[in-house]
Amino acid sequence: MKIRILKPGLLSTVQDMGRKNYLSDAVPFSGVMDQLSAQIANIAVGNDPGCAVSEFTQSGASFKVEEDIVLAWSGEGAYLSSGGRHLPSGRPVFVPAGAEIYLEHNPDGFRSYVAVAGGWDAPEVLGSRSTYIPAGIGGINGRALLEDDELNSSPALSPLSRQIVESLAGEGINYPNWQIAVGAFLPVDRCTIRVIPGKEFDWFDDASKQHIFTGKIAVANNSSRMGYRLQGAKMSRVRWDEMLSTAVVPGTVQVAGDGELILLMADAQTTGGYPRIAQVASVDMPLCAQLKPGDELSFCRISLKDAERLYLKQVADLDKARTGVKQKYS
Amino acid sequence: MVNIAATELLVIYPLCEYAVTVEFGNSIDEGILRCVTGFNRQLLQKPFPGLYQTVSAYASLTVFFDPVIVIGQGSLPGLGCFDKVCNYLRMLNTENEMPPVDAAAEVISIPVCYGLEYGPDITELAETKKLPVVEIITLHSEATYTVFMIGFVPGFAYLGGLNPLLESPRKATPRAIVPAGSVGIAGAQTGIYPLITPGGWQLIGRTPVKLFDANRSQPSLLKAGDTVKFEPISAEEFKNYSA
Repeated sequence: MKIRILKPGLLSTVQDMGRKNYLSDAVPFSGVMDQLSAQIANIAVGNDPGCAVSEFTQSGASFKVEEDIVLAWSGEGAYLSSGGRHLPSGRPVFVPAGAEIYLEHNPDGFRSYVAVAGGWDAPEVLGSRSTYIPAGIGGINGRALLEDDELNSSPALSPLSRQIVESLAGEGINYPNWQIAVGAFLPVDRCTIRVIPGKEFDWFDDASKQHIFTGKIAVANNSSRMGYRLQGAKMSRVRWDEMLSTAVVPGTVQVAGDGELILLMADAQTTGGYPRIAQVASVDMPLCAQLKPGDELSFCRISLKDAERLYLKQVADLDKARTGVKQKYS
Repeated sequence: MVNIAATELLVIYPLCEYAVTVEFGNSIDEGILRCVTGFNRQLLQKPFPGLYQTVSAYASLTVFFDPVIVIGQGSLPGLGCFDKVCNYLRMLNTENEMPPVDAAAEVISIPVCYGLEYGPDITELAETKKLPVVEIITLHSEATYTVFMIGFVPGFAYLGGLNPLLESPRKATPRAIVPAGSVGIAGAQTGIYPLITPGGWQLIGRTPVKLFDANRSQPSLLKAGDTVKFEPISAEEFKNYSA
């Protein structure tokens, strides 16, 4: 299975679930920004969770199917269509060679994921296929996808993927009547981001501590896969202790020297020296990944116990979805 | 040397659902660093199920784990993942009757071509310090440095042990592009840029050595706790250098 990029769009990269084993060398996690959507796309084509997907930013990208393909897409950065026909999300879709697929405007989100049966083939660098552009590693030559880049699927299909491919292959676009809906995994209110207080939460005055949970905060323009600048909340410190650099992770909300908030994302550096006022619950990082510059959000406080519980529940829910797909083909 | 077990200084806090941080102090101090690297070594020799990475910083060690594996460990006391990991780390620390001492680290020598186009800030630094350029080079290359932390970008080592005479603030306006291998000074620290990045450190030289190489099994040349020396080389040696 093979595609060729016609238009790369705003930023398109090959990503997997991230690079976990070189944090001590200051190599960031990277990986997909929205792990939930990416996992749903992988589950829908019967892939193992570690398979590489392509991450597209907003609409505008397009690609040509060079060899018959079974793909699944998820995420709300765009709608996928081919020959004027809408391709449904969250299910395996057979698309014959020669078709062109377009990522069309979707106002609801910012990033979409395309998984192919078998996963995209790219060399593993430091245990991951994720593209980390600043160091030029992973994905396709360590860079964003460009026009005419070809992506091939890995020939090693899982038994489930093989069954899915066999059930759909034919002459024209074909998909089953079931769907894994991303909405089933998400809270109704997608603009309220749950956080636990950060280690330096008490370094800020009462007004700031209140404002972070009540004020409307907007994603600023200078936001990237590394982190979002947030506007609308200026934090005032009451403690000016020396802050020694220490580990930070995606989801860490730092307060920069000017009092503005920075939300670290997938490509975040591994250590930071700004006080950490909050930490986004992992289950809400997919919501953050779908925010675009200008979008508003607010933070809501939960306990670490709740964050842990939600984390484990989401893993279990995704396992259930995986089992559900398996059962359809057994 | 701070004996953590004796003073019960072990402060542990959650960073997120899959990471906890152990704090050993709050200053840049070689004794504290040895506690961090010693505890790290001990933990990596005796990891708990689910642990996959640790990140050492100046005075802290952050432990990364898979919550699904940790929550399934019935033998680890505690209700949630944080409790379980905390209890394990405390137990490990109490078991450790001897304070962690790191073996004498091997000295890693890094060749540096000082000045010229490689160290564009050395002349200004020499003028500010009212020292000849050769003296700057001597002061920088005769000292022995300790790696306090790898952070900022892959393979970037923060080195302590700079001669106080060379301490200087960051540049008022950071450079948009700092070439890979550049050796810089910021405050009381010196460091080497492993990749082309923006940066505000005063650049005094450059090394031809690759500080970060994704093709190596340990991609970062340096790790926290290492001892480093700089060896001055000529521009010709720089150009002819091959690893």
